[in-house]
Amino acid sequence: MIAALGRWALTVFARTGRASLMLLAILAGLPSVLPRPRLLVRQLYSVGVLSLPIIVVAGLFVGMVLALQGYTTLADFGAAGSLGTVVALSLVRELGPVVAALLYAGRAGSALTAEIALMKATEQLSGMEMMAVDPVRRVLAPRFLAGILAVPLLAAIFTAVGILGGYLVGVGLLGVDDGAWWAQMQAKVQPLRDVVNGVVLKSFVFGVVANWIAVFEGHDAQPTSEGIGRATTRSVVNTSLAVLGLDFVLTALLFGGVR
Amino acid sequence: MPDVPDSPAAADSLVRIRGLRFLRGTRVIFDGVDLDIPRGRVTAVMGPSGTGKTTLLRLIGGQLRPAAGSVVLDGHEVPALRRRELYALRRRIGMLFQSGALFTDLSVFENVAFPLREHYPRLPARLLRTLVLMKLEAVGLRGARDLKPAELSGGMARRVALARAIALDPMLMLYDEPFTGQDPISMGVLVQLIRTLNDALGMTSVVVSHDVAEVCSIADYVYLISGGRVVASGTPAELRASGSDWVGQFMHGLPDGPVPFHYPARDYASELLDGGGRS
Repeated sequence: MIAALGRWALTVFARTGRASLMLLAILAGLPSVLPRPRLLVRQLYSVGVLSLPIIVVAGLFVGMVLALQGYTTLADFGAAGSLGTVVALSLVRELGPVVAALLYAGRAGSALTAEIALMKATEQLSGMEMMAVDPVRRVLAPRFLAGILAVPLLAAIFTAVGILGGYLVGVGLLGVDDGAWWAQMQAKVQPLRDVVNGVVLKSFVFGVVANWIAVFEGHDAQPTSEGIGRATTRSVVNTSLAVLGLDFVLTALLFGGVR
Repeated sequence: MPDVPDSPAAADSLVRIRGLRFLRGTRVIFDGVDLDIPRGRVTAVMGPSGTGKTTLLRLIGGQLRPAAGSVVLDGHEVPALRRRELYALRRRIGMLFQSGALFTDLSVFENVAFPLREHYPRLPARLLRTLVLMKLEAVGLRGARDLKPAELSGGMARRVALARAIALDPMLMLYDEPFTGQDPISMGVLVQLIRTLNDALGMTSVVVSHDVAEVCSIADYVYLISGGRVVASGTPAELRASGSDWVGQFMHGLPDGPVPFHYPARDYASELLDGGGRS
């Protein structure tokens, strides 16, 4: 029992160490991506553009549900006019960054992990090394960079579409006043405090974590079919847990004193 | 120089390995291996499966580091090289992987062009095309340039990988089990190619394999590795005539001999009579 616990702890520390070293190597390799924008654009397309459908559809429904749920409570207090503010603040501060990151992990992070792990299993990464091409710079760095650019953009789109979904239900279906919806939202949602801290900063942190985990799990996978499957699962599970855990920490830091 | 007696060109060896020791976890893979790869020749490294032949290639290419001993490649102590120096050295090494390791998202042409594009980004497109077509012509697959790796047979994939491996005109070619899983015709083609390319391009080749007949038909010198050591070495003819039982069993592919057919186990009769109460 104690031995098993010790083994587990050693594995965790060893993996953390390998992951940190890999992150350093990737960061050192980032400058080499810049002169080759085509590598970056291709990855942006596959992790960003191809994630758009799920992000847009999910954002729309999350916004619609928020409006439905919020309206019941607010109408009791005669504050249905604040519905726009409630929907917007929830999305901008919390749901946008968090749900977008979770969806990203499922849609793009898992694909990144599986792709890199399969390249490893089929000796493509090894082959690159022997051709004197560093796979960290050629394969991992462009994917990582594309990922951390994509996540905040996806979160912003998710949030915008969510507000639109809330508007459709709140104003279109439940009869909240159109002017009150937008005016209160404009008055209460602050660009720096809410938008920058939420969609921009949180998403950036989530993007770094999600892509770091995805790339690391792929690169660290056992080069077997079972290993690839396990790495893909771990990538999604670990990213989800990390995003939710970090969200609490970030919220406490950024919005802890906000009333 | 320690004990590599009949090594043909120890004085002019491209790769010189001395006292090589390598462990995987606690398992000893190599324990005091001495080896010389003579310049300009085809040297074969043979041995039973699982003796670390592929590991040996990775040690030469600097992808693994030995626990002890030295690997000197063209005057460079490989394990001691810094990253940049190692990458510079690898530009002069070609390696053919057992799986081919072709990039599945790139066409045959782009696969062969890959190392050229990576290392010479300013190479004019016309020159690049000429070079790639020359390499593909050398392996007889100029006509397959637009195919994707998934559309190639196993033998063709390995020839494309070979064209890619020689794209930078290496001084040293490492072949990892080049004949595994090939039909007789592609096997014959590969055997021919390894010898012809080595002589025509003035390379040095190391072939790791356990296909005795094919390897012996092209190798100038053979090392037999087993149990982490070099157990025999010599020209193919010398090894075939060897008096050692083990070498004889390996070279002639006999099922039983010093290497037993049975994996060590309890007595057969008592195990059957046991009735499976305990396994």
